[in-house]
Amino acid sequence: MKYLFLLAVILSFQFSVNGQNQEDEPLRIIVIGAHPDDADIRAGGTAALFADMGHKVKFLALTNGDAGHTSMGGGVLAKRRREEAKRSAEILGIEEYEVLDNHDGELIPSLHVRHQVIRRIRDWNADIVITHRPNDYHPDHRNTGIVVQDAAYLVIVPNITPDTPPLEKNPLFLYLEDNFQKPNSFSKDIAVVIDEVIDTKVRAMAAHESQMFEWLPWTRGVKKSEIPEERDERLAWLKKNEIERRFPTEKTFDREGIKAIQKWYPSTDPETVKYVEFFEISEFGKQPTEEEVLKLFPMLNKKE
Amino acid sequence: MNKNLIYFLSGTFILFNTFNILAQNEEDQKLNIIVIGAHPDDADNKAGGTAALFAKMGHRVKFLSVTNGDAGHQDMGGGVLAKLRRKESEEAARQLGIEEYKVLDNHDGELLPTLNVRHQIIREIRNWNADIVMSPRPADYHPDHRYTGVLVQDAAYLVIVPNVTPDTPPLEKNPVFLYLEDHFKKPTPFQPDIVVDIGQTFDEKIEGLNAHTSQMYEWLPWTERKLAEVPEGSEARLKWLEKTRSGSITSAERESLKKWYGKERGGEVEYAESFEICEYGKQPSEEEIRNLFPMLSKNQ
Repeated sequence: MKYLFLLAVILSFQFSVNGQNQEDEPLRIIVIGAHPDDADIRAGGTAALFADMGHKVKFLALTNGDAGHTSMGGGVLAKRRREEAKRSAEILGIEEYEVLDNHDGELIPSLHVRHQVIRRIRDWNADIVITHRPNDYHPDHRNTGIVVQDAAYLVIVPNITPDTPPLEKNPLFLYLEDNFQKPNSFSKDIAVVIDEVIDTKVRAMAAHESQMFEWLPWTRGVKKSEIPEERDERLAWLKKNEIERRFPTEKTFDREGIKAIQKWYPSTDPETVKYVEFFEISEFGKQPTEEEVLKLFPMLNKKE
Repeated sequence: MNKNLIYFLSGTFILFNTFNILAQNEEDQKLNIIVIGAHPDDADNKAGGTAALFAKMGHRVKFLSVTNGDAGHQDMGGGVLAKLRRKESEEAARQLGIEEYKVLDNHDGELLPTLNVRHQIIREIRNWNADIVMSPRPADYHPDHRYTGVLVQDAAYLVIVPNVTPDTPPLEKNPVFLYLEDHFKKPTPFQPDIVVDIGQTFDEKIEGLNAHTSQMYEWLPWTERKLAEVPEGSEARLKWLEKTRSGSITSAERESLKKWYGKERGGEVEYAESFEICEYGKQPSEEEIRNLFPMLSKNQ
């Protein structure tokens, strides 16, 4: 009897490595972006893979995106973007896309926003939290990175935002990829091959009509006449202009990228891989072993 | 068509396109430069020589001080000091030959990276139709300098977004953002990407600094307990300023000078100002840098 109890204790420790919940329960992932579409762009493929395997993914936008357009703005634009986000979530198969009502272009790492983020991470009972680095190109992205970093650790402190019960364990915090070099470059700690779901990702991005076909091309000086009207042509255009611009095949797999692919997919030839989403492990929050990463990312190391 | 005419037309076309690269404003081929410092005298100190060179070549330079400098003195303060420093700044602008020296009325020593100040800066950059924006790094010694760096970084990109500060029309192109020199090492050391030989305008730079009497001969020496060393009489003071403000050229700056001016001239430069390219905003090619800094051309 004693031994049985001991065995049970040992087993339950093993289970608890896997997540906030028990082993047989799905993993819970929250991707926190600054604007409705940021999570999709940098982690849409990984989210679709998690969702396919029955895990629970939530996307959260800290601003409502009400400044991201040339000829629309304010509440009207925010409403449109909330609808687009909902459609994107349906396409990816994720549980939820929540859009907070903070103004776009005005996100400040205030206590108010920090508390909003702490509540969302706790309510989602997150095993993994993914967000921007605090040195990305847009001040809202940088401030999102700061706010989420500030939530790491505090999510376990009961006296902080006491209206929402604390998490029992600090989740794993990860950063989304960017190209900035200062004060340090993005580190490709985890590679997730998304070839299987690339078309789902592109369709999810295309759901953000106001961004992918209107605002973003405008900011880059692309003329309206260059953007196709027909659905399939539009998807092909988007894949070429948004995916391949951000993830050019030659550049994606620099030495670091290849090393990461080889590490997490040892039986796959990196030459055969086309699309990858990379993540950097944040120093705040849980510091996982390689084995724990494999449990938190069950799509890794799958034999082809 | 006559061959010469074709050559002439295509030459004109190329020239026109080059001008397009040069400025936000197509008709007006002057470059617009705005140097944003935390206090009235910061821009002068780090970019006065370069500003005078731009001005001599007919380009438009504006200095902007985000605070009014009302804490920078041992025996004066508040509105009285702010008023004096605004006047000193106007005189400095005259000595450097630049268009304008604007001093915002935020308190010295209390600058925070708030939305209000961010919007002030977005408006200033847009209204100047800037091709180049310079500011301190967020790693500089004074909190006002660091937050000026943060505020200007936060304005980069947003200056092109029409829904942000919609009372002022957005820029059509993101300018090049540059950092002013400092000697701090963390989190990264200052990187002299562009180094300008200011030998030709070093005297103007000193005259510009000389205009900030309350700072150069009163406050700054006081902070270093060196008031006794400050000479009397304008001639002696200028000499002293020249001696104490000439700066030195690091080996990294020397390498950069050789890159931009060639080995020979780059090796001989005595006085220089250095700038680091910010990762936010436009990322210029070497050719675009030469277009934006026409004084880097070897014949100048």
